[in-house]
Amino acid sequence: MSKLIFVFLAFIPLLCTSFSPERPSDRRVLVLLDDFAVKSSHSLFFNSLKSRGFDLHFHLADDPKIALQRYGQYLYDALILFSPTIERFGGSVDAAAILDFVDSGHDLIVAADSNASDLIREIAVECGVDFDEDPASMVVDHSGYAVSATEGDHTLIASDDFIKSDVILGSKKIEAPVLFQGIGHSLNPTNSLVLKALSASPSAFSANPKSKLTSPPSLTGSSISFVSVIQARNNARILISGSLSMFSNRFFRSGVQKAGSPTKHEKSGNEQFFTELSKWVFHERGHLKAVHMQHHKVGEANEPAIYRINDDLEFSVEIFEWSGTSWEPYVADDVQVQFYMMSPYVLKTLSTNGKGRYFTSFKVPDVYGVFQFKVEYEKLGYTSLSLSKQIPVRPFRHNEYERFIPAAYPYYGAAFSMMAGFFIFTAVHLYSK
Amino acid sequence: MARYLGGLLVLLFAASICGAVTIPGPVSDAHRSAASELFDGSFSSLEEAYEALRVFEILAIGNKPDVSATACKKVVENLGSSSPVKDLFYALKVNGILKCKVNADVFKDIAVRLKATVTDASTLVDMYYSIGSLVLIKDQVSDVDVLLADADGTFHSIKALSQSDGRWRYSSDNPESSTYAAGLALEALAGVISLASSEIDLSRVKTVKNDILKLFDSIEKYDDGTFYFDEKFVGGSEHQGSLSTTSSVVRGVIAFTSVISGKVNLPGDKVLGLAKFFLGIGIPGDAKDFFNQVESLALLENNRVSIPLVLSLPETVYSLSKRDQLKVRVNTVLGSASPPLTVKLVRAFRSDAKDSVIIESKELQYDKSNGIHVLEVFPDNVDVGTYVFVFEIVLHDSAGEKVFATGGQIHVPIYVTGIIEVSNAEIAVLDSDLGSVETQKKLDLAGNVVVELSANHLQKLRFSFQLKTPHGHAFKPHQAFFKLKHETKHEHIFVVGNTGKKFEIVLDFLGLVEKFYYLSGRYDIELTVGDAVMENSFLRPLGHVDLELPEAPEKAARLPPLPVDPYLRYGPKAEIAHIFRAPEKRPPQNLSLTFLSLILLPFIGFLVGLLRLGVNLKNFPSSAAPAAYAILFHLGIAAVLLLYVLFWLKLDLFTTLKTVGLLGVFLMFVGHRILSHLASTSSKLKSA
Repeated sequence: MSKLIFVFLAFIPLLCTSFSPERPSDRRVLVLLDDFAVKSSHSLFFNSLKSRGFDLHFHLADDPKIALQRYGQYLYDALILFSPTIERFGGSVDAAAILDFVDSGHDLIVAADSNASDLIREIAVECGVDFDEDPASMVVDHSGYAVSATEGDHTLIASDDFIKSDVILGSKKIEAPVLFQGIGHSLNPTNSLVLKALSASPSAFSANPKSKLTSPPSLTGSSISFVSVIQARNNARILISGSLSMFSNRFFRSGVQKAGSPTKHEKSGNEQFFTELSKWVFHERGHLKAVHMQHHKVGEANEPAIYRINDDLEFSVEIFEWSGTSWEPYVADDVQVQFYMMSPYVLKTLSTNGKGRYFTSFKVPDVYGVFQFKVEYEKLGYTSLSLSKQIPVRPFRHNEYERFIPAAYPYYGAAFSMMAGFFIFTAVHLYSK
Repeated sequence: MARYLGGLLVLLFAASICGAVTIPGPVSDAHRSAASELFDGSFSSLEEAYEALRVFEILAIGNKPDVSATACKKVVENLGSSSPVKDLFYALKVNGILKCKVNADVFKDIAVRLKATVTDASTLVDMYYSIGSLVLIKDQVSDVDVLLADADGTFHSIKALSQSDGRWRYSSDNPESSTYAAGLALEALAGVISLASSEIDLSRVKTVKNDILKLFDSIEKYDDGTFYFDEKFVGGSEHQGSLSTTSSVVRGVIAFTSVISGKVNLPGDKVLGLAKFFLGIGIPGDAKDFFNQVESLALLENNRVSIPLVLSLPETVYSLSKRDQLKVRVNTVLGSASPPLTVKLVRAFRSDAKDSVIIESKELQYDKSNGIHVLEVFPDNVDVGTYVFVFEIVLHDSAGEKVFATGGQIHVPIYVTGIIEVSNAEIAVLDSDLGSVETQKKLDLAGNVVVELSANHLQKLRFSFQLKTPHGHAFKPHQAFFKLKHETKHEHIFVVGNTGKKFEIVLDFLGLVEKFYYLSGRYDIELTVGDAVMENSFLRPLGHVDLELPEAPEKAARLPPLPVDPYLRYGPKAEIAHIFRAPEKRPPQNLSLTFLSLILLPFIGFLVGLLRLGVNLKNFPSSAAPAAYAILFHLGIAAVLLLYVLFWLKLDLFTTLKTVGLLGVFLMFVGHRILSHLASTSSKLKSA
């Protein structure tokens, strides 16, 4: 029996490899497919995930056995929906369950396509992404299409309008354009969290390529997004693509030449684009943590319980970025600290030593009350940091004011000369003859 | 399930967005390089090893990884021990390719064991593996007796599992019938026939032929002529995808037809449709799928039913300006050369008008050196546009029509592109009521000239241009957008309509003020013209117009929100430094010192005055006791004064009051003594 318990205990670390604040990368990923053939036709994408240590669980989207959680515990850290035509998921999964999944901090990849189902559209709308309402519509670009000997309708688009963010797309520049063929979407202007990761050129529009245009299309130009990413306030990350074939082996391997450009690339940028993007979505990059937030008076080492107005203090915090395997020092020049009571009294950019430590020093304002040290760090693509530490600030005590002010010397002089005079007078008055 | 697969295949075919059919080409070098990547020489079982070896064999890949040593070692291991039939089967299959050194006695032992299994076996899978293994032994070694004594009985026991719709059950106690099993059964039956010591009853063979035909009745179909088999029952323990099901059936049917004497009359278009199914998958990324695809194609390439010929076009987009040639390639599914044949272009018509036939029955020239059929030049009446070309394959050898499946008439969408001439572009501001031209400007859309216009809400803007095809016909592009973009990034898009040859748009600003949200100011004008067959699609800024619109009434619609620029949303905030209260103003120190000296002056004056008055201490008591009291009294006063100083410097009120109380009592006592003493001396003095 004791042996059994020992074996069980030995396995606990293995069982607990799932998402945790200390290891923010996802581990277990549920992949829902329309058909198992996608597993084979999109294998390059899945293999790149597997080789990075993800545990992929493939299921048909209408499999009655699928479930996202059991006994209130989520079974997966991330979800990939490669089932653009699914009208109803099997099992207990529905749009609300998927949104709850995201609300609890899990990541999501959704690939739609022309003829995307209402269910997929509903999930997208909740994430601030509106697909073109016409189910037969595709994005057409007569100026930015990918040159192809066999596809003449210009729905196969080579786009190189990437989001300018090293953390989302990796520091290596994506040289080759990315192939896209599918439905376009626009971003809800009231949603400030959603970003266009890959957008259309100004000449693109979204319409049914077979029918004549009579009224202006609802989506045109660079407001069309091909691939969008969202980082929710709870740092859950979502990727929404208007094309499932973008992820396919065929597009990953295909060569690409953008219309009007003389360079022909051996391989499209799709593989690099989605490998890098999936690293971001699955928290292998751009996930920050802040530790050791400290402050003390200049010249002291311990953190005081209270500051007096006009004290000089030193503040420091350590910030690290998760690299997928370890926490690496995060280096930036725009981390700021606020000394805050109702509104910031002091807002200062921190200097860094390049090893993750950020520090500064400033004078406590001459206003007393309960203040907070606040580090609110939001940067495109990074998880947001929001730390605060409360600290009261008191005014001078009665005996901490300045004594012996020179301006008061006449008063002192008056009092003491009076006293001396009195003493002399008593003696003179009593004993003078 | 089938519905989803349909969606998927539409996606895989991808090019088939237009209703007409695009035929995927035969297996090409892309397949070969993918195979080398996929089968990298590491395998966990002999089944995988066999799949890899078979794919390399079929695709004739030269630089394959050398696995023969490890694989042969495994083969010998598996053949020697009493391993399960499935392992035996794959060991023999690998041995068939690698020709490992195996002792002939081993085969004899196995054959005896397998024969016993065949007679005992109750499930289809066991029979399939054991019969398959026997067939493999028969092919590999000549002197081993593998013939089945009771072939008829075995045949019957397999046939007993068949269902009326051509499908098979896995075992007699399993009521579920499966298409995948039908493939296994047919292959097993083919094995039984080839292993039979005596001829199998022809009537039995005939019923199986009927089963095959029935099985082909349940075949599934797409609109583009692709055929495939799918498993109807999904609840089974092992789900088979449509690819493995179809390839199982193909394997079974082709094995069966190759051992029987007669011919099975399967329609050629269905066989071609199966070939299309396998080719349409593209390059699978899964080793098993890859093997199924390639092996099925290899079986279709050389079979007795009918050999599919694939007509493919390396290009379906032709440019009139580059004078491209229309090329057609006809191959077998694995890409080898076709028998002598002629490709006929039956007709070609515009895809939007079926009656408008532009080319009719034309034979394509065969270019022997490249193995392609070429239509040298497009006839003059082919203008830019989308067409459907209908091809037909005519075999030179008329007997070949029974051997080859050509698929009858093949519809291929063709895009003919060209350079469209843009001319007569004009932009004008008109007065609304009179229609008179206020300002008119001609534009050369090929250049970079831009115009500057101004208008108010009572005027109209007219823009017109013409498009001509290389043949001089009017051209209607798919996309002709006229865009007005306000400084605040609010955009308004209008579709430019056409009347005959001329494209014209008239914007009546009076009717548009509400749509423009009463936003006056500078509007940039952009024109986008594009079409799939237009080689010079363009997006061009035309200039700008300064619009003067009336003030917005209170009830006017609010401006829709614009998306936030993400690059501006983030980033560091401006630093805030606290502004400290300025210290109170104080007089300079010298002034205070001056005043201090002034303040001390009266005291000095007092001292000088006393000296002047000639004060003395003559009245000080001379006797010891009063003198002591006097000294103590004055010391007490000095102590109180000192206490005041201390109070000012450091002491608090409590200590001070306490001390003052004690000193006060002491002072009372000594003060009373000295004062009464002084009073008595002075009264004595008076009385005296």
